[in-house]
Amino acid sequence: MIILDTLLIGGLRFVLGKIATAVESEMEDDSALREELLAAQMRLELGEISEAEYAELERSLLNRISEIRSRTRGPTPKPGTFKVTGVEATFAGEQPPDEEAEAGPRRR
Amino acid sequence: MAEAGRRVLVVSTDPAHSLGDALARRLGPRPARVPTRAGRLDAVELDADRALARWLARRRPALRLIAERGTYLDDEDLEALFRLSLPGVDELVGLVELARLSRAGHYDHVVVDTAPTGHTLRLLAMPETVQRIAGVLDHMYAKHRFLAERLGGQYRPDASDAVIAEMEREGRDLQVRLRDPRRATFDWVLLPELLAVAEAKDGVRQLDRWSMAVREVLVNRVLPPAPDGCALCAARRRGEQTAIRAIRRTFPGRALRFLPALPREPRGVPALRAFARALAAPSRGAALVRPHPADRRQRAAATPRPPAGPPAWLPVVAPPGVRLVLFAGKGGVGKTTCAAAAALALAEAAPERRVLLLSTDPAHSLGDALGTPLGDEAAPLAGAPPGLRARELDAEREFRRRRERYRTAVDELFDTVRGGSAFDAAFDRAVVQDLIELAPPGLDELVAVLSVTEALLGRDGQPPAYDTVVVDTAPTGHTVRLLALPAAGLAWVRTLLAILLKYRRVMRPGRLAEDLVALSRELRQLDRLLHDRRATRVVAVTRPGELPRRETRRLLDRLQQLGLPVAAVIVNTVPPPGLPACRRCRAAGREARAEADRAVGRGRVVLLAPMVAPPPRGVRALGHFARTWAAASAGGAPAPRRPAARRSRRPGAARGSARVVGPE
Repeated sequence: MIILDTLLIGGLRFVLGKIATAVESEMEDDSALREELLAAQMRLELGEISEAEYAELERSLLNRISEIRSRTRGPTPKPGTFKVTGVEATFAGEQPPDEEAEAGPRRR
Repeated sequence: MAEAGRRVLVVSTDPAHSLGDALARRLGPRPARVPTRAGRLDAVELDADRALARWLARRRPALRLIAERGTYLDDEDLEALFRLSLPGVDELVGLVELARLSRAGHYDHVVVDTAPTGHTLRLLAMPETVQRIAGVLDHMYAKHRFLAERLGGQYRPDASDAVIAEMEREGRDLQVRLRDPRRATFDWVLLPELLAVAEAKDGVRQLDRWSMAVREVLVNRVLPPAPDGCALCAARRRGEQTAIRAIRRTFPGRALRFLPALPREPRGVPALRAFARALAAPSRGAALVRPHPADRRQRAAATPRPPAGPPAWLPVVAPPGVRLVLFAGKGGVGKTTCAAAAALALAEAAPERRVLLLSTDPAHSLGDALGTPLGDEAAPLAGAPPGLRARELDAEREFRRRRERYRTAVDELFDTVRGGSAFDAAFDRAVVQDLIELAPPGLDELVAVLSVTEALLGRDGQPPAYDTVVVDTAPTGHTVRLLALPAAGLAWVRTLLAILLKYRRVMRPGRLAEDLVALSRELRQLDRLLHDRRATRVVAVTRPGELPRRETRRLLDRLQQLGLPVAAVIVNTVPPPGLPACRRCRAAGREARAEADRAVGRGRVVLLAPMVAPPPRGVRALGHFARTWAAASAGGAPAPRRPAARRSRRPGAARGSARVVGPE
């Protein structure tokens, strides 16, 4: 039964895919937390939670988001151990242009 | 027709029915016999919500099955979706219900009294929409058919397929029937006024484009030559002659018929019978429009110049801090003229205020009233205060603009179904995209609400562009629909949010949810604003006459039910007192004042706007016109001064709100 196989494999791949995404998002970025925040907003609109509960949730989520942000930026590099190798375009959106030269090597 | 021995059904499809008023009997959604000398006459006032409920009741299981098999949604979701009310159901159901009624009663003729222009055009476009809805359902069901074929080998059509086929057939039949001149003809009725001519021109052109046969253009309420040599009537006659010349130019070669303005509106069967004789006269009322010596009579006394400065009524209609002023009323009473005049007065009195004058009637007259072409982009008006902008809302364009946004949001949503069966998601994506493609019924009201929200509350974090929006609405039935929409829309948004929340582990809610959260907030704010009597004012416009009076009374009741604050009733086209006038003018003036007395007696503020011949057009004339409105008062008491302290202390207090601004 070709169709059953496709469905089974499809389903398995689906679950694995979901697990992978879940792990990925919790480890590496704040998108899961952002989703939580959006879900909290949705709950508030639906009247499932009160304004106070929402405010509480929002504060804790925003805290965790900023925590993750500071963590992903990594430890501050020791001065003098890097040399400037060039400016990369990938940073253009994140910092004002005049900081680019300085920011570039930080992630090396 | 009935008294010529035929079996006739007369149906009103306007959500604000007047048919019962005209026949002087209570009508409802079931055909009621009207006594005639011969033949048979039944009359119906359609109840769209009921008709839809009946239609759905029989097909619900089949439709449920389609949705269940065609989407990811479960029983609970579908139950919630089926419970929602459709805001624009009148047009959608109107034609289908018409077809059903005419089949059921074996009539020779079905005569339809339609809603005003804009929404009638929507109604006539509905057969196509019905077919497209059938197409979407067909798409939904395709998944089930595909699976059944793959698993069972052969697919046998079931009850759900039958419903889809029925809708498709019904839509096609109606489309064919409306275009067959032997089976459907259209008579266009208009008043001898330039605004009406412009509207009729657009409407008839649209019908021509759809190859729907307009048999005759009827010009109603043409004034007969003035009795007693009345100067006001003569001026009005001259204005009408100008309009009639424009009608002849606009509809060359088309059959025109002129019907007289009767001293009393024809109400009840005997009066209508007499009116029908005029309707059938072979002369087509030509004598009525022939120039008459009395037409040359010039006005003896000039109307007194209105005082300079802001008009006395302004604090009632638009007090400081007002954000939304809505003009509502029956078609042809002068809503557009009054709304434009009020917006001009408001902008002049408060030059720093940013005012948007917005027409939401799909058959716009605002540009014609202001004597300048307007479009979907808000534009300043030459000769008007710079803070004032005017816009004729193009609902379809605005909808397309918003649709793009939702289309990409939905695409994003489906992109997040990662690793799942690509086959399932592909089907669902097609279905949802189909749904977005489909312009919803009630589109005009939906887009109007969104545009007002954007103008007053801003969008995407932008501050609002206007302090006050003055809305020239579509006639009564659709205004009521518009005002009920924020609540209905909120129910839709919340249902969708609940579904997205439920499936958020499978599909990332993303931008669609963000948009819906924002929309939910905006609709809540708008709903609050609508019920806040400091922020919102509804002005009902009417004219002397039995039918407008009855419709206005129902409008006011409905507004009260909806908890909306009514600021004032404007009785328009009142012959000014003191002028040497004829019997006709004096009678109309007496009637207007008697009506005003009654309304004032009920605690309403009534403004009398004078009959102006020809009607005021252009920024200057409208500004002048606004200053001539005067408050009517009961029993000759001084005009009501509206003390601020008498305003409701509880903004949310909804019931009886129309009473609060009245005199002691």
